[in-house]
Amino acid sequence: MDVLANLGRSSLNIFRGMGAALIMLLQAIIGKPQPRKSFPLFVRQMYVVGVQSLLIILISGLFIGMVLGLQGYTILVDFGAEQALGPMVALSLLRELGPVVTALLFAGRAGSALTAEIGLMRATEQLSSLEMMAVDPLRRVVAPRFWAGFISMPMLALIFTAVGILGGYFVGVQWLGVDDGAFWSVMQSAVDWRDDVMNGVIKSLVFAFVVTWIALYKGYTAEPTSAGISKATTSTVVTGSLAVLGLDFVLTAIMFS
Amino acid sequence: MDNLVELQDVHFYRGNTPIYQGVNLRVPRGKITAIMGPSGCGKTTMLRLIGGQLKPRSGSVQFAGQEVPSLSRKELFELRKRMSMLFQSGALFTDMTVNQNVAFPIHEHTELPREIVDTIVKMKLQAVGLRGAGQLFPSELSGGMARRAALARSIALDPELIMYDEPFTGQDPISMGMIVKLIRSLNETLGLTSIVVSHDIHETMGIADHVAIIANKQVVAQGSPSELLNHESALVRQFLNGEPDGPVPFHYQANDYLEDLMVRKG
Amino acid sequence: METRKTEILVGVFVAVTIVALVFLALRVASNTDITRGSTYTLSASFDNIGGLKVRSPVKIGGVTVGRVTRIYLEGEYYEPVVEMQISTAYDQLPETSTVSVLTSGLLGEQYLGVEPGFIDDGIMMLQDGDRFMNSNSAMVLEELIGQFLFSQGDN
Repeated sequence: MDVLANLGRSSLNIFRGMGAALIMLLQAIIGKPQPRKSFPLFVRQMYVVGVQSLLIILISGLFIGMVLGLQGYTILVDFGAEQALGPMVALSLLRELGPVVTALLFAGRAGSALTAEIGLMRATEQLSSLEMMAVDPLRRVVAPRFWAGFISMPMLALIFTAVGILGGYFVGVQWLGVDDGAFWSVMQSAVDWRDDVMNGVIKSLVFAFVVTWIALYKGYTAEPTSAGISKATTSTVVTGSLAVLGLDFVLTAIMFS
Repeated sequence: MDNLVELQDVHFYRGNTPIYQGVNLRVPRGKITAIMGPSGCGKTTMLRLIGGQLKPRSGSVQFAGQEVPSLSRKELFELRKRMSMLFQSGALFTDMTVNQNVAFPIHEHTELPREIVDTIVKMKLQAVGLRGAGQLFPSELSGGMARRAALARSIALDPELIMYDEPFTGQDPISMGMIVKLIRSLNETLGLTSIVVSHDIHETMGIADHVAIIANKQVVAQGSPSELLNHESALVRQFLNGEPDGPVPFHYQANDYLEDLMVRKG
Repeated sequence: METRKTEILVGVFVAVTIVALVFLALRVASNTDITRGSTYTLSASFDNIGGLKVRSPVKIGGVTVGRVTRIYLEGEYYEPVVEMQISTAYDQLPETSTVSVLTSGLLGEQYLGVEPGFIDDGIMMLQDGDRFMNSNSAMVLEELIGQFLFSQGDN
């Protein structure tokens, strides 16, 4: 009976948490838009969330593409199918690695920073003080960060994928000697704009939504102590990464089967 | 007497723990009201009730004749433009300079042109003696300076009521003196109403016109400082004189001391 | 100025994204999908379609002109029927045309090859919704080997 009661209690807690998170998000993003005031805030967050994640995305994308080129080549060359290197690199990046690895890196780089920042704003009473100044912290603090995360992560995923394909090209064509023309033309005939590129973009939009949402909610509800903030930050990375991997399976099953 | 804020029979619970049981408080307009009491008695909670950040379980909280807990979110935000709060930590926005911090509420709630806002910011910073520190970030300020900068931000929109949450805690005697002087002078020159929450008896009794003492989940006494010093309640006298034992016991509730020791041996 | 620098860098970020998107669109993906424009639908029935799938290409002389859109079984003998969309640029296929399930290379993917038939006075062009009259099924490796063995036995 205790087991059942525990199960019931924890699922109720999970549902309550999700409900509270949903209400927070809706309160933040629904309402009369004030472009003159919120656009500069949004640009500022695009810088913090997007531009500052650019370097790690470029470097990881390049290396993952290069590794794919190297690994793919050594496997495919045994079957005499090294022309298939182009589609292999492109498809794995477009469909899976681009959206997923970007989302994981984003959760670790930008998501944890968002949680810690908002958690600290709560701990130092900055959120309370906004409320007392008759400024809604959800609209002022949470909303611009949400939009910046939601928009910049798919952008980062596109950049990651493009750089990764170039990395695969450098290793496969320039180093290992796969034919230049075959690399691109076989890739082009195998990659479909709507099926592969657009589905990848849809995936990363979903991941962006979920990861940013989790990061903001964890920060907003963090216990205002140093232990509480560090717990919330860890929880953002763990929950965010697990959510991305789980959703990736579901989305892949829907899109590609 | 004309009261700006009035609490009547307020009951407030945190979870299932009662914080207030039947609190009555009045804050006379244009005066400095001090709320004092031992730590943990919920003095800050009182300010949050007045600001509408918390809702009481029952009872009435009135600000300028309006019932705060029953206001809609929009009405509450309108009301909050007329009051401001100085937080214990200052709560300056760490990603903005002092100037931008002070300008923040003005930009948020008015459509004034930049030059006028800059002028207002300079005037407010001059009032707290920090006009020269406008370009600094909060991390570059000392604790006392941060509190004064936050005070400049609190008076940026000329509120009717300003609430100070523990303004003296953790200040050296010099900055404490500065803040005491500021609270006094701002109250006189701007004609606003102040509520000071504190347990620094000496400083608070020095500037307050009206004092309320909270203990045992209630306001046990309120009146002018001189009235309270001669109060008949032992509790009030214990608090104001800082005696270690009395109606507020030195020992946390426990079972009999001797018995406790014996049990451990057995 | 702080905000100016931020704005410029966000601008660079957006520009890099656009470059990446253009690269993916032009260099990586085939944006010459034949079924993007206006198409018409034809169908064909086979004995066996082998490994043909939805979205497999339909080719004339090796040039892709359309894609398979639907595969289902029909009638009391459960004959496989393949529906395909073909670009209206190639709407002059006579009804004598033949469609075959072919394989690109020895182990490659399977596709539909259309062989346009002869044109004569009494011959109509295939219209939207029509069915090919002549079709060749997929060659299944096991059947081929079986036939080869039996023919060896006859000799």
